[in-house]
Amino acid sequence: MKLQVKLALYNAISKALIIGAFGAIVPVIIQGIVYNHIDKRLSARLEKMMRMVQLGGLNEISLDQDCSFDSYNVFKEEYVSISPLGGLPKDFGNRSIENTERLIENEIVKHRVLSQAFLYDNQLYEIEIGEGLSTIDQLNVTIRQFTIRILLAVILISIFLDLGFARILLLPFNRIVNKKLKDVQHPSTFDATPVKTSTYEFAQLDRSINEMMLKIKETFQIEREFITNVSHELLTPISILQNRIENIINEPGVSNEVLSRLVDSQKTLSRLTRIVKALLYISKIENDQYNKSEEVSIRELCEEVIEELAERIEEKSIKINTSFESDFVYKPCNRSLIHTMVFNVVSNAIKYTKSDGEISLDGKMSGEAYQLTISDTGVGIPSEHIPFIFDRFKRFRPEDGMSYGLGLPIVKSIASFHKIGLHVESQPESGTDFQLLFPASVS
Amino acid sequence: MNVLIVEDERQLSHEIEIFLTKQGYHCDVAFTGKSASEKVFVNSYDFVLMDIGLPDYNGFQLLKEAKEAGREAAFIVLTARGSIDDKITGLDLGADDYLAKPFSLLELQARMQAILRRKHGLKNNTIQIHDFIMDIQNRSVFFEKNVINLTKKEFDILHYMALHKNRVITRVQLTEHIWGDVLEEDYESNYIDVHIKNLRKKLAAFANSDFIETVRGIGYRLNMP
Repeated sequence: MKLQVKLALYNAISKALIIGAFGAIVPVIIQGIVYNHIDKRLSARLEKMMRMVQLGGLNEISLDQDCSFDSYNVFKEEYVSISPLGGLPKDFGNRSIENTERLIENEIVKHRVLSQAFLYDNQLYEIEIGEGLSTIDQLNVTIRQFTIRILLAVILISIFLDLGFARILLLPFNRIVNKKLKDVQHPSTFDATPVKTSTYEFAQLDRSINEMMLKIKETFQIEREFITNVSHELLTPISILQNRIENIINEPGVSNEVLSRLVDSQKTLSRLTRIVKALLYISKIENDQYNKSEEVSIRELCEEVIEELAERIEEKSIKINTSFESDFVYKPCNRSLIHTMVFNVVSNAIKYTKSDGEISLDGKMSGEAYQLTISDTGVGIPSEHIPFIFDRFKRFRPEDGMSYGLGLPIVKSIASFHKIGLHVESQPESGTDFQLLFPASVS
Repeated sequence: MNVLIVEDERQLSHEIEIFLTKQGYHCDVAFTGKSASEKVFVNSYDFVLMDIGLPDYNGFQLLKEAKEAGREAAFIVLTARGSIDDKITGLDLGADDYLAKPFSLLELQARMQAILRRKHGLKNNTIQIHDFIMDIQNRSVFFEKNVINLTKKEFDILHYMALHKNRVITRVQLTEHIWGDVLEEDYESNYIDVHIKNLRKKLAAFANSDFIETVRGIGYRLNMP
């Protein structure tokens, strides 16, 4: 959830809670105050009635035949009733007050009623004085409805206002995230211009990111120079040796024995060259020195690689099966790197497949990625070795001979440079499955 | 043919000089950018082999100046810096070719010959190898009217051996030539022997292919009168 939405929601909920609480409490308080007033009024009236009874006797009030008296005003808002009581109530002499519903002239009316029992002329009577509650209830309902409307309106307005405000407030933050983190493809293209903001925290975030990125940029630059220097310092002496050996091999009169040792030296030197070049290659990939602006059809690439390796495949009488459910154009990428990656995997498969074995290349869409599986019927890899096959200079087989253990590390660095997934499954003595997962949508 | 070798590493320029002199080139050497600059503008060369990483001078600058001054020489850029941009910059500035150190002297010579062929038009576009004719432009080999169906690598091997006829070429030199910059594991194997075997078989179907001689323990030689 976006921060902006979260802030707006938080604000809306907190306002709703406050207004809701207000809306719940206010009617209760109003009711309390109103009851208090009614009660006082009822008490005063009761006093008055009692005084009337004391002074003028009940005769003063014309009683019905059953010696009871009822008086309502027109709107049944107030009434007085005196009625004889059968027995002595327990709480004789106390006044009681309660809300009751009375059926008056076929209409149920809610009243707050004050009642008291009294003795008159040796006869027990009960006097009740009531006041209608309908007005007050109406008032409460009105207040509640009003509160709910206000509540809804305030929440809606506040959500919109908060969304807008949070948006404006977070504008610099979004700019920092986009400009300083998301859009930065490479440290060397990083732009350290500060993002304009009046928010202290954002300014600090921007500063920290700038410092960090500039440090990374510097490290990248230093590494780049280091690679250049190492290349020069290592490859120049190798170059001298290589050319000198070539020249000596062509000197007339060199004995065959010396000649064959020179050829051996040439091989050794060539191996050294390849190791240095492979290490530099990996470093350059990791140092982001290759651009990724090309595209490549995986199917065509596989066919190309198979053709290049045709002699090796033929030599071992290996059967090649290819099946491409669909073709896939991978972009953006560096074509030559992707070529090297697939080449190394396939050449590795050939190397470890026995004569008359089989190698299959399978391409298909698998969810969000294009899955290229290169499987062989080779010697396989023991499961305990699998986690280490991409490590530099790991060689698990003595029969690897002159291999220097950098073929798969190159594959790995190219894959991670392109964010291509790598997955290996192997069954010793029956074969290895190499999966390359090319992300279908690269932003 | 006059060649100027611009290389601050004296041992290296010495080896290149020995090799090219034996091949019949007349060599001049410059160890600094300053002296190279003087020599390029004073003398007339067919080739300038130029190390980019000179201590006193940016090799690209020198290349640019020489090209702008309309010097006729073909420039081959040599570099050990291993930067990808170097190659592009060099070729953009008008260099005729680019070689990354370490390179084989045979490779250097092959590149020089290729430049010569390009510069002097299509005159020398076929090579007669005994009964066979190699068409370099169209990358095909004929016996009389018959095209011999060679793979790309077989053609490259035969061409390389023909360029360096009567000279032993080691397996390493052949491997480096046909696999070039491919960095892969399975390198020290007998694939060259397999290629040669197939090549001989294909040629032998038409005429004698004994001119490809195996020099035991060392490599191969293409013998030509």
